[in-house]
Amino acid sequence: MQTIQEKLRIFIAQNILFSQNGFPYDDETSFLENGIVDSASVIELVLFIEEQYGISVKDSEVVPQNFDSIQNLSRYITRKTQDV
Amino acid sequence: MNTSDYLLANAKDGVLAFVTKDFSVTYLLFKSICASLVIELKNRNIRSGDRVAILGKNSPFWAAAYLAILKINAIAVPLSTMLSADNCERNLTFVDCKFLFVDKSLYAKYSGICQKIEYFCLDNSLLQTENVQWKFSGSAMKVNRDAALLFTSGTTARPRAVRITHRNIQANTESIIQYLDLSAAERLMTVLPFFYCYGTSLLHTHLRVSGTLVISNTFAYPETVLDLMEATNCTGFAGVPSTYQALLRNSTFPRRKLPYLKKIQQAGGKLYNELLKELINSHPLAKVYVMYGQTEATARLSYLPPELLSSKLGSIGKGIPGVTLSVVRESGEPIQTGEIGEIVAIGDNISPGYLNDPDASREKFSNGLLFTGDMATVDEDGYIYIVDRKSDFIKSYGHRVSSYEIEACVLQIPDVIAAAAVGVPDEYAGEMIKVFVVLRNNSILKTENILEHCRSHLARYMLPKEITIATTLPMNAHGKVIKSELKKMGGPY
Repeated sequence: MQTIQEKLRIFIAQNILFSQNGFPYDDETSFLENGIVDSASVIELVLFIEEQYGISVKDSEVVPQNFDSIQNLSRYITRKTQDV
Repeated sequence: MNTSDYLLANAKDGVLAFVTKDFSVTYLLFKSICASLVIELKNRNIRSGDRVAILGKNSPFWAAAYLAILKINAIAVPLSTMLSADNCERNLTFVDCKFLFVDKSLYAKYSGICQKIEYFCLDNSLLQTENVQWKFSGSAMKVNRDAALLFTSGTTARPRAVRITHRNIQANTESIIQYLDLSAAERLMTVLPFFYCYGTSLLHTHLRVSGTLVISNTFAYPETVLDLMEATNCTGFAGVPSTYQALLRNSTFPRRKLPYLKKIQQAGGKLYNELLKELINSHPLAKVYVMYGQTEATARLSYLPPELLSSKLGSIGKGIPGVTLSVVRESGEPIQTGEIGEIVAIGDNISPGYLNDPDASREKFSNGLLFTGDMATVDEDGYIYIVDRKSDFIKSYGHRVSSYEIEACVLQIPDVIAAAAVGVPDEYAGEMIKVFVVLRNNSILKTENILEHCRSHLARYMLPKEITIATTLPMNAHGKVIKSELKKMGGPY
């Protein structure tokens, strides 16, 4: 079974980086600082995790602490799925 | 007067020129940084007329590089940070660039280019610049010489660089300051890139009045921008339609107090009436300025006085001080009420033309007139209403259909954040109407619902044949939807 981190790496590599070679950064890398995301791709990430994990993302939760790295996203998803 | 001297003429040393999340820069320090970069350019033998590019995210260092280039009468070439290394190199070659200022954080991406051109890295170490005097020059200068080359957002096979003169910058800046009534008390939240003419105009105007630019490069996370606006008591905000779409429908902006916010500027395309009303109502104490322009006009051509927002909703207003706008037929005669014509402009802000492209220049600029490519009507009071870009009209069943009208209709549905209507060749209709929409999070809206809505509001020949729900729309670096890409799309995007 894929971990949250693995699923995220695959999604970002394929749908945001358009790469067949996987996600080339480590889990702590900031998406924003490395030009990995822009406004449009953050929205895609939100939609992806809502669909995949059945969570509802509030506007106020779309912040770097929750979204700006594989690590941050995975912690956020874990927290939200435990709350449900 | 030299434009850099002009921009710094009113600078108050103790006032903050720039604020970021991590540090602030007073005008005193800013002038020192500018002066030190002038020395750097002189040491590298950069001369008057040489092209010097700037490649970086918004920062005080970007601005200092820009002013340093203009100070020695070299020509500034702002470059988009969204360019691939190849396209960047293509643009640098096109303008015959001699030198490059590059953000240290972008060096890795553009390292190939930096092997081929002399460069200087911009980073926070410039904050340690010792006191270097900025020397104002007393001598007059030829204001018709080029100050900058700005690449347009239009998609063309070859790069198109608009020549902007010193006179263009100073004329447009004076005019904008006048109608926005800007002063040293301004604290503007700046999310638009300086390499885009609208962003450059924010830099020009706020420096000239010794105002403060609060810079945020994290609009991908709108809440971070809103937090910084609250923390720094921003009095102003400037955005393009996609900025406001995100703020109004995908962020807490409508629920934030922002008591210091007094001026909201909107340009860079049409913000549809539904969203414009939401914007006005979100912060009723702030004045909303709807504005219009293009790179070929330095930045700004018209504005609508905020007090006319209800009586003239949807209008781009009239020409800004010093600019005359008219709407003309193909023949060149002004249109009558009820007709549609092209907006043409005349003023000291109009560019002398495109670099090394006499054919395109001849088509766009004629006898000092700028042919904007925007089609409009005029009401009995002389207020202009844009109907569509000349190139975006859809020819459906013999009718000329405004893509704006279709988009405005679809945007009436609260769940719709963005919409784009394009025409694709069709045997029967001439062009078939395809609409792409982006929906709010958690929306359960279906394409049938959208079509239902269109049926009750639009004429038969304006109905979309195909509606595609997309997660995003393809946008260029200026936040404009790239319709040519949508036209090429087959199935769902």
